[in-house]
Amino acid sequence: MAALIPVLALLLLVFWMAFWQNGPGEPIVYTLNHYRNIFTDSFTYKTFLNTVGFAATAVIVSLLFSVPTAWLVERTDLPGKNLIFMLVTLGALLPTFFTAMGWVFLLHPRIGIVNRFVVDLFGLNQAPFNIASIIGMGWVEGLGLSSIAFIMVVATYRTMDPSLEEAARVHGLGIFRTLLYVTLPLTFPGIIAASIYVFTIALSAFEVPAIIGMSNKIFTFSTFIFYKIQPLEELPNYGIAGAVSTVLIVLALLLSWSYFGVLRFSHRYAVVTGKAYRPRLIELGPKGWILAWSFLGCYFIVAKLLPFLLLIWAALLRYFQPPSWAALSQVSLNNFYGLPWSLLLQGAWNTLILMIAVPTLTLLICMAISWTVLRSGLRWRLLFDAAAFLPHAVPHLILAIATMFATLFLLHNAFSLYGSLTILIFVYTVSRISFATRIINNSLAQIHPELEEAALVGGLKLLQVMRKILVPLLKPALVYAWIWMALLCYRELTMASVLVTSQNNVTLPMVVWGLWLGGSLNQAAAANLVVLAFMLPAVLLYFIFGRRSRVSETV
Amino acid sequence: MISISGLCKNFRTGDHAVAALQTIDLEVGRGEFFVLLGPSGSGKTTLLRSVAGLEKPDEGEISLNGKMVYSRSRRISAAPEEREIGMVFQSYAIWPHLTVAENIGLVLTHGRSRMSKKNAMERIRHSLELVQLENFEDRPARLLSGGQQQRVALARALAVNPALLLMDEPLSNLDARLREEVRANIKKLAKQLGSTVLYVTHDQVEAMVLADRIAVMTHGKILQIGNPFELYRNPANALVAEFFGSINWIRGIMVDANHAKTECGVLCIDDARRCDGAVIVGIRPEDIRLERPSNADENRIEGRVMSSTFLGDQVIAEVKINERTLIAKAAPDDGKPEGIMSVHLPKSKLVVFPDRAEQQSPLDQRIEG
Repeated sequence: MAALIPVLALLLLVFWMAFWQNGPGEPIVYTLNHYRNIFTDSFTYKTFLNTVGFAATAVIVSLLFSVPTAWLVERTDLPGKNLIFMLVTLGALLPTFFTAMGWVFLLHPRIGIVNRFVVDLFGLNQAPFNIASIIGMGWVEGLGLSSIAFIMVVATYRTMDPSLEEAARVHGLGIFRTLLYVTLPLTFPGIIAASIYVFTIALSAFEVPAIIGMSNKIFTFSTFIFYKIQPLEELPNYGIAGAVSTVLIVLALLLSWSYFGVLRFSHRYAVVTGKAYRPRLIELGPKGWILAWSFLGCYFIVAKLLPFLLLIWAALLRYFQPPSWAALSQVSLNNFYGLPWSLLLQGAWNTLILMIAVPTLTLLICMAISWTVLRSGLRWRLLFDAAAFLPHAVPHLILAIATMFATLFLLHNAFSLYGSLTILIFVYTVSRISFATRIINNSLAQIHPELEEAALVGGLKLLQVMRKILVPLLKPALVYAWIWMALLCYRELTMASVLVTSQNNVTLPMVVWGLWLGGSLNQAAAANLVVLAFMLPAVLLYFIFGRRSRVSETV
Repeated sequence: MISISGLCKNFRTGDHAVAALQTIDLEVGRGEFFVLLGPSGSGKTTLLRSVAGLEKPDEGEISLNGKMVYSRSRRISAAPEEREIGMVFQSYAIWPHLTVAENIGLVLTHGRSRMSKKNAMERIRHSLELVQLENFEDRPARLLSGGQQQRVALARALAVNPALLLMDEPLSNLDARLREEVRANIKKLAKQLGSTVLYVTHDQVEAMVLADRIAVMTHGKILQIGNPFELYRNPANALVAEFFGSINWIRGIMVDANHAKTECGVLCIDDARRCDGAVIVGIRPEDIRLERPSNADENRIEGRVMSSTFLGDQVIAEVKINERTLIAKAAPDDGKPEGIMSVHLPKSKLVVFPDRAEQQSPLDQRIEG
């Protein structure tokens, strides 16, 4: 239970924060002014429209990839399916701030090479593409979230009884009609659920709007909140941040609630047949394979490879310019030599500590939660389940802000946590509770309670039962969850951007982010590549120990 | 109607291939109710799905209604929608997003026949009448009970007027009482409509009730094809004998054409099959006669009754002859079997098979045990 108190406390803190008249540290006077301000300010409505437009674009872009690909993987004889899963997993691990920077180099109206090329070619006055727009940012976010959407849509196809489609085929409906009248209507609730899920994430997404939008004065809710607590010119305004956060939390909770509603609806269609055979795979033939792989190839090149190549190119140049012979002669490794290496090493050390401490702590807590929910028979056990879900519904940026608020103004007399690594460990752990509980819940539900009861009857104490029976049985899930969370810790920028305030607790993504905000884009690109290189061993570990077809549990 | 020759199919699981069908040859006549019977993993469902076009075989030929639908050598492989079939799935595969009428209507208006909405309505009503589900048209399909869904599945399969009706364990998800009722109804409908039916099941009672002919399958091979009586009374080998009802096995050696020296003494044998060397002799429990001790006669051996269980309509007795224990069924009116009795093994009821190790892997333990 103790594990869940911080979550609820942090939420209440946000609500409370929104009613403070003055800055913290001064006598507390309560007011409704902040709410009045945000609801009367036209900027709020503009930001709201921006945010919704951004999230909606992200949903559409991610579905455009995930629905056809999921169908290809689950229902056709397309070769190379393992490769698709591997690429998708890699895509999900690639930090979003990384691809966002790549896209700036590609499509920024001033420096983006595609724009420069098209302008020169056709003699245009204006750049045709603008990544620093709501549509542009939604596009980048959508490509980033398409992996998650794919994994969710694949799950919908998997839980659908394949004989529903076979029944259509044997009674005379062709491939296309079967798709239209049976497959699509049946997978529709699942696709809607995936859309809501992606929409919720995009609604509070921070990295893409921060990297692309903030410097161009295009705000979404998350960057707006961030701007209010770390403004460049004025004093931080926690009250406004709190008020906006409250609105965002309410939106996110509403969406999560409807997500579960739709999910329940889609489960009504799901049938577990227990039949051993795979559904009949539609034969695409070599022509179809080429077509399908061209589609997939285009996606992977556009979504992952191109931004990556652009970053490499940018990292090798002093000033960014499109590839040309002249530019080629200026290629050097100077950006790498010039990097703040001592800061990077400090960041690497801190990140390493986070990657080990956070997954371990989270798993310990979540084992306790899962066991309580599924096995204890306590009266309020379902409350635990709901509370464990909260960190998922609440935007991580807001969790971080509430924590900072707490350490800065409420706990500063007792502990000096502000700017420490401990505070990062705390927030990261809280934010991963939902993910880990879900995975452990799923695995624990498959272990028959009698296995534990047998040990209890045999005279083992409860803790021994956990250690000797449960942990070994849950080991594959635990290993998988541990590595996956370590990787997420590694790429975490959102929460760090609020809580990293000194060299003491700097993390690797923050070094990149600092360089980017400081305007040294090419150095940031170089730093990004270094950060990615540091990440490789961990990714390798994941593919060796953690994968095992468990990709489908990441959502 | 169905003509299958040399059909092979391998499944690849990981590194090794499993032979699901091994050179299957089969002819099913028009209007025949044909049952594929076998334990799970015997390949019967794979065979059915190959006929439906849901599985692509590796070798061989299938023709339906005189039309080739699969031929490896001629590179023909018709899609499921091109074959004139109706099918009832084990899970029923009733589309949960449609009503009962829409479930049937979809295959009529968008399937092979493409009939108009009005004609379709007529046909929907007619096929629902056949399965006694009148007035269920507008019911959402997912709200139906299992038995009702089963009937809608049957109505949908019949509505397309298929040349061939395929059924994949359609009764296995129903409870015991409902199963008998639906079983009787399926049999009646099939005869009434004169349909050709290919039916898959693992339940031998179901097979015997429904079938004109049965093919018994294990490990991707057909062991025997015949009508229920032939399969029960004249099994082609020990496995078929085991599959239909229970049977006692006695190990022995043939001493001449009609006599075997067995664990239970010398037995006179009337089986037309000529065996020599080591054999196993089989007899069904209901064929064993337990009589008061009398003079030893042909195939009358003294045995000790170890236990007997009264079951109302019959008495099950365990009789020990030397070291071999046989199970016998006796009529309850003959009094409780006990003590030393004369065990009569009528020679006409004895079946005999060569005692080959590879054929009896499932039996061996029982014989040894």
